[in-house]
Formats: sequence, C-alpha cells, structure tokens
Amino acid sequence: MSKANYQDVQKKYKKKSRLSEIWRQFRKNKAAVFGLVVLLIIILAACSADLFWDYQKDACDLNIPERLQKPSAEHILGTDEMGRDILCRLVYGARVSLRVGICAATFALLVGGTLGCIGGYYGGKVDNLIMRVTDVLLSIPGLLLAIAIMSAFKTTEFFLALALGISYISKFTRIVRSSILSVRDEEYIVAARAIGAKDSTIILRHILLNCMAPILVQYALAIGTRILSVSTLSYIGMGIQAPTPDWGNMLSGARTYIRGNSYLVMGPGMALLLTICSFNLIGDGLRDALDPKLKK
Amino acid sequence: MSMNMEDNRDVLLEVKNLKKYFKVPNGYLHAVDDVSFTLERGKTLGIVGESGCGKSTTGRAILRLIEPTAGEVIFEGRDITTLNKSQMRDMRKDMQIIFQDPFSSLDPRQTVSQAIEEPLKINGIIKDKNERLERVMELMKTVGLAERLVNTYPHELDGGRRQRIGIARALAMNPKFIVCDEPVSALDVSIQAQILNLMKEIQEDLGLTYMFITHDLSVINHFADDIGVMYLGRMIEKAPTETLFENPMHPYTNALLSAIPVPSIHNRKERILLKGEVGSPVNPKPMCRFATRCPYATEQCFQEEPELIEVEKDHFVACHMCK
Amino acid sequence: MQEKDYMLKIEDLSVQYITEDEIVYAVNGINLNIEKGKTHGLVGETGAGKTTTALSILNLVPDPPGKIITGSISLDGEDIISVDDQGNSYPAMSERQMEHIRGNKVAMIFQDPMTALNPVFTVGDQIAEAIQLHEHVDKKKAMEKAREVLEIVGIPGSRADDYPHQFSGGMKQRVVISMALACNPGLLIADEPTTALDVTIQAQVLDLMKDLRKKYDMALLMITHDLGIIAEMCDEVSIMYAGRIVEHGNLEDIFDHTRHPYTQGLFNSLPNIQDRKSKLKPIRGLMPDPSNLPLGCSFCPRCDYATEKCKTEPPQKIWLSDTHYVECHLYDDGSTESKL
Repeated sequence: MSKANYQDVQKKYKKKSRLSEIWRQFRKNKAAVFGLVVLLIIILAACSADLFWDYQKDACDLNIPERLQKPSAEHILGTDEMGRDILCRLVYGARVSLRVGICAATFALLVGGTLGCIGGYYGGKVDNLIMRVTDVLLSIPGLLLAIAIMSAFKTTEFFLALALGISYISKFTRIVRSSILSVRDEEYIVAARAIGAKDSTIILRHILLNCMAPILVQYALAIGTRILSVSTLSYIGMGIQAPTPDWGNMLSGARTYIRGNSYLVMGPGMALLLTICSFNLIGDGLRDALDPKLKK
Repeated sequence: MSMNMEDNRDVLLEVKNLKKYFKVPNGYLHAVDDVSFTLERGKTLGIVGESGCGKSTTGRAILRLIEPTAGEVIFEGRDITTLNKSQMRDMRKDMQIIFQDPFSSLDPRQTVSQAIEEPLKINGIIKDKNERLERVMELMKTVGLAERLVNTYPHELDGGRRQRIGIARALAMNPKFIVCDEPVSALDVSIQAQILNLMKEIQEDLGLTYMFITHDLSVINHFADDIGVMYLGRMIEKAPTETLFENPMHPYTNALLSAIPVPSIHNRKERILLKGEVGSPVNPKPMCRFATRCPYATEQCFQEEPELIEVEKDHFVACHMCK
Repeated sequence: MQEKDYMLKIEDLSVQYITEDEIVYAVNGINLNIEKGKTHGLVGETGAGKTTTALSILNLVPDPPGKIITGSISLDGEDIISVDDQGNSYPAMSERQMEHIRGNKVAMIFQDPMTALNPVFTVGDQIAEAIQLHEHVDKKKAMEKAREVLEIVGIPGSRADDYPHQFSGGMKQRVVISMALACNPGLLIADEPTTALDVTIQAQVLDLMKDLRKKYDMALLMITHDLGIIAEMCDEVSIMYAGRIVEHGNLEDIFDHTRHPYTQGLFNSLPNIQDRKSKLKPIRGLMPDPSNLPLGCSFCPRCDYATEKCKTEPPQKIWLSDTHYVECHLYDDGSTESKL
C-alpha cells in the first residue's frame, strides 16, 4: 500500500459510531424509551418554569385567599394550603430534586468509584482497608447516616447532596470493585501490560471502559433513589426547608389536609413515582444497550 | 550482547533456575520449579506439557507479566528480573507475547486499528497520527488482514483473524523475542495451519526468536529447533526437535508422543497408556514427580528427585533410569 | 443396498436458526445412518452444524430460534421427527415420551465435563438420579447401580460420595460417561468428548470408550474435529462442511481414497507427527457465514478446483462405491478416480 492517509482510510472504512450503536440498541427497549421521554419532559418543564411563573411570587409567597382550591382551568392541579399553585411548585420542586439527586449520585460515583478502582485493581492491604471502611458505612442505614450528617450541618442543598452522596458511596465502591475484579483478570489486561502500558492507562482505557455498563446502570438507579431520599428527608423536615418547594415538603405540608383534599398529594406523589420509574427503566435499557457482545 | 565464546553461539535469552511459587491455602503451589535453558537468536524453543505443568507460567514469568519467585532471566546480557517498573516497560519493546485465546486477549472495545496502534501510541514510538496509521496498515498487510477491516471490532471477526490482530500487535514494536503462548490451540485445523505458516514466514523475514508454548507435540515439530518437555513445574527432557522425536528418553515424553491420535489408518503404533492422574503441584515431595504414573518407577524414584543431566550431546533428561 | 439394522436414521434433515435479523442455515439436508453397534464419526470445524445435528436427534434444538425445517429422524425404528403431507417436519412424540427416549435409547456427553455436573450434589447422587428417572427402582438400588457404573469407567465405587470438585478433568469426563451409560442407551452421542482434556488423559478416555462400546454393543456417534481420533475409533466417517455432508465413507474410503477437496484440505492442514518435514498446506480463506451461504457449492470460494459450475449449482450426492459418496462437481462425469 502506498502512502496511507489517515483521513482517506477513515473515510473509506468508516468506523461505526459507538454512540449511535448504543442508541440503536436502546431504542429497541420500549420501556426504556418511555422512561427517557418522561424524564426529558420533566427536565424540560423544570428548565422552562420561569417562562410561565415567577419563582418568588408563585412558588413561595403566601396567597391565602386562594388556598385549597380544587383543580380547575386556572390551577390545573389546584392550590395548596398556602394558596400556591401546585403545578408551579411541582415544576420548581423538580429543579431541586433533580439537582440534588444528580449531584449526590455523581459525588458518590466519583468518590466510591475511585475507591473501588484502587481496591479492585491493586488488591491486598489497600483493598482490605477500603472494603472494611465501606462495610462500616454499609452497616449504618443510609437514611440514618444522612439524617445524622444533616443534623450536624446546616440544612442547605449543598449539605443535603453531600449527606445523600456519602450514604451511597459504599454501594458504588462495591459495584466498581466487583466489576473491576471481573475484568482485571481478563487476558487483554495482561496483553496491555505486555505492550508496556502504565497502570493508569490500563485502569482508565481498558478496565473502566469495559465495566461501564454496570456502573452507568447503577448511576441511573442511584439518581432515582437519591431523589426519593431528598423527598424523604424533606418530608420529615431534615431536607429542603419551606418555603423552597420540594416534592417531599409538599407532601409533608399536605398531610394535614389529606382527608378532604386528596388531590394535594396526587401531584407530588405522581411526580416522584414517574421520575424514579423513568430512571429505573433507563437503567435497565442501558444495561442491555451497553453490552458490546449483544450487538449484531 | 552475550556471546558464549566456547561454542560461539549467539545467545539471546538465558533462563537460570527460574521459580514461581503461588501461595495457596495449604502451602505453596510450585508452578515453575527450577527451570533453566538458553535460547539462541533466530531459533525457536518449544515448550510442551499438559495443563498445569507450568508452561504458560514460565512464559509469563520470563516477560515478568508474573513476578518470578526466584531465578534469573538474562536477555541480551541483562538480568531483567532486577529492572524497575519503567526500565521493564522499556524492555517490553523487545519482548512480546502472543496469547492463546484470541477471544479474550483483545479488548472488546478497541477496533482493529486501535488495538494494533496501541503499543506504538503508549510507548510514544510514532507520535504522528497519520504515520501511525501507515504503520498499522503495513502491519495488517504483513499478517494478512484486509485493509477494510481497519475499523471493525474483534467480536465481528472470526478466531483466525483475531489471532492475526494479536500477532500484528506483538510485531508493532519490532521485538526481538516473542513468547507464543498456545497461539493456535483455540483455532480450527484449517485456520491453525494458516496461522502457523504465517508465524513461520514472519520469523524468517524478521529474524525473530520464538518461545513456542503448546500442549500439542504435532504442532511444534514443524516449528521448533529445540523442545523442552515440562511436567508439574519441572523441565524433564530437553533436546533438539529431531532427537526428541526419534529418541525420546523420558517415559513421560514417550507416553506423550504415543498418545497423539495419528490421522492415518496405517502403521498404527501401540499406545503407552499412563495409569492414574497428574499429581498435585502443591508442596511436592522430594521425589520424581512422574513416579506415580511411571511404568518403570523404582524405589529410588520415590525417594530422590532426578536432576536434568546431559545424557548425550544437547540431550538433557531428568530420569533415574536414563543415566 | 440391502436394508440393514439401523440404530439411527436421519433423512434430509435441515435445521435453521431464525432470528429477526437473519436466518442461520445450520444444517442443510443431511442423511446419516448408523447401524447397531457401529461407531460413526462426524468431522467438521466450528460452525459446520455438528452439534445442531446431535441436538436434533435428542429433539433438543433450542426453539426459538432453532427450527427443524425438513427431514425425519428415527431411533431404533421409532420416529422422533416425522414429515407430514405438506412436507413439513414435526416432533413425532410428546415431550414425556421424548424424555423417556433420552437416556434409555440415546444419551449424549458434552465437550466440557467441568460444567456438566452439578457442584452441590455428590456424583453418586447425580448418577442415581439419572437411573431413577428411567428405571423404577428405589434410592438404595439406584445408588448401588451408580457405584457399579462408576467401577465400569474405572473409578472406585467408594468415590460415589465425593463431590465433582474433588475429581480431576479426566475423572469428571469418566463420571459423565458413566452417567450416560447408566441406562444402557442403544446410541451414545459424544460431542467432542476429549477436546477439553490433556492428550495422555484423552488417550485413557478414548480407550475406555472403545472398551465400553464393545462391551455394551452400543452405537456411537463421535463428533470431533480431530481426524486422529476418527482413525482410531470409527467405522464410518462423514465430513461435514457448512451444514452438508460433503464426503462420506468407511475409514479406508476417507483416509486412503480421499475425494473431496475439503477433506483433502483438512488432511493437508494437519501437522503430521510422522513426517515432520512436510509443509503445512492450509485451506485458504474462511468458513462461509452460515447466514449467507454461497449459491452453489459452499466450499467453492476456498476450493482450488472450483469451476464456473461450482459457483452456481449445488453439487449432488455421487456414489463412488457402495460405501463412499461425495458431493462435488469434479465427479459429475461418473469417474471414481481421484481428481485431486
């Protein structure tokens, strides 16, 4: 062959894009696509909230004359005990929930993932130490740990995310460690060492890329459970504080009026259900789509 | 360069008393136990043995993919067991390995070109993207991979083609020495022959030195200049290929040779059937490791471990009966 | 030819694996007969359709995606797969009857002895269970018989109380063989029974199988890629390529009067231990994709003797003698001499 030109060859035998391939597989799973659509609608609503409402006026300030109105054309989901539009609060609440949920899950992924990588790849004493620490963390119920942290610090979004993240670190450490262990002894890892690859190259390029699937799936599920925990903490008053709208404190506020006004809990309840379901469905879809051996 | 002045041989690799023990719950597993040999430049040494005899461990310990427990590996006059991590990485340019299983030795997420260019990239040998691709194309041509496969993934290819990728990858850095760890045993017969011929051609063209590990004596007799037979971590016989096939001395080598099913319905020879099973390599007693299965075993064999001694020129045997 | 006493008759069997993306033509119209007490070798490379053929005999082709398209199979005179008036094949017995046939009339041993045994039961329990499924005996009797069959394959009966992990690979394969033998099947299908074993252990296992076959007068279908094993074990051989039997004959026909270019190619790619100077002559190219077979002869793209006709027309079976047939256009002119 004469002079090979990078562009020419690349153009001629085009590499199938991995993303498009994953998307093709993902699309086959109808439930996962449904989850993705629901999630996108929620995100879109959360982003465009300011176009329809004024945050301070509609979502936070009291409006006693209009309190406890049943759903109507003006207030699609009705108003709450303070007279605020429920749909408006739901949408602003989505912002908080998603923000805190994603931050907490990401924090747990980064810290837990790094620990899991180190433990899984190097093994021995380091691994032992890391695993014992995660054992201790695991022995404390996640929510209790979060409550403990929240009572020690201020109840701000930052600390909420931190607390919920910390309580999930051990899960990620375990998942990342076990997926690394399953890949670490594959022959292509030895092969990479044989050509002189450094440890960092091996971990990042060969090991992590090949255990992306379980980690991403866990990440999607983690966001779901973190959002649920945000609501739980807010519900018992340890999370997002009124008047900032959050699905949890909306439920909490509604509980006194639930007998006569059951519509109050429908909104936040459904929002939680749909969000968490969609994250779970997306997680399932990713699991199938990310397996390279399933590709046809 | 180490030159053995006595018989003027150009020795590329010398392995001295190589040992690898693995710790297991009830003691130490002697995977490789005191193996020594020399390998001349441009020659092929075959290492033959059954599963668990330590042949693969020997190959990997030489490349320090597994850290040897004891012993020296002298490559071009340098004992590589004393090198530190980065010196060793440097050394790997000269010493490469081809793996047995082309299905697990390639990263499923790398395309053909990514797999072949990786050694060039991470060692900074060719920095320019275009030049690197040029080299990849050249290597693909050498190993007989069509240009159009450049961006395919391993799972889209068959075993023979995958093994060609493995070979191209090993050749990328112009090594002097390649450990071939059962490179054809996972392949179909018709593909096996293609790969064996390819490896032979490459060896002749590039003047490579091979250490060819296999369990199949019939594969190696076309390939090797010398053959070492291993049994439970020990080298029990070593001789030039022709000598080993014509005049095998160790009872185990004899049994191994006769056990190969011959694809012919004529001149069938009588088979030596071994009794019993391979013993355990964990904490072996100081006795001949083959004694429990050996039809000629005597009292001495159960009490004393035989040394590998030269019984005729270049023919080494570790057996009490062959002195 | 006179009608012989056949243990197994397969006629015009075709099996396809149908998925939403493609149809894999695994077996494409093969005939295979095994007389009682004889050993038949089925040789082929990965993807030739050997295992699918074996699974069809047991009616165990995974469905979906597997489907028996045409053909009939009968075992010791009983139809397992029959053909209806429209020419479609259907299973001739209920799953219950089939379960009775498996084990009693036909048993199969698989390639990997490591995965064929359940690690949580003792081997004695597992053999006894197989016996109890087919014979109405109590647990104690079954256990006694289990010890007996273990002795037959050369394992002390006292080891019946051991768990599979306490056995080595060769021993496990013996246990698997003893399980298959427990109910004296008339036909034993061995799918690469020694591929996972070391050569010296393989020699032991092959020797054992030869003895047992004689002792029980079983028919044996030996599936392998190793022509050496065939030479040693078999009476008749079928060479399979891309789902067709391309050459069939007795040992002498195949080994000394090789006619099909693929069979010849197989022999030439084998390193010959007795003649170490001979150069390896591999078959060029690759096995065709079974979901996209060539129009004519499936070996045509790799064949050195291929003509225009081979590209367009699938070859028919040509009988060269009473025992030997070949599917190759080279012999269309009726000559029986080798054209290779």
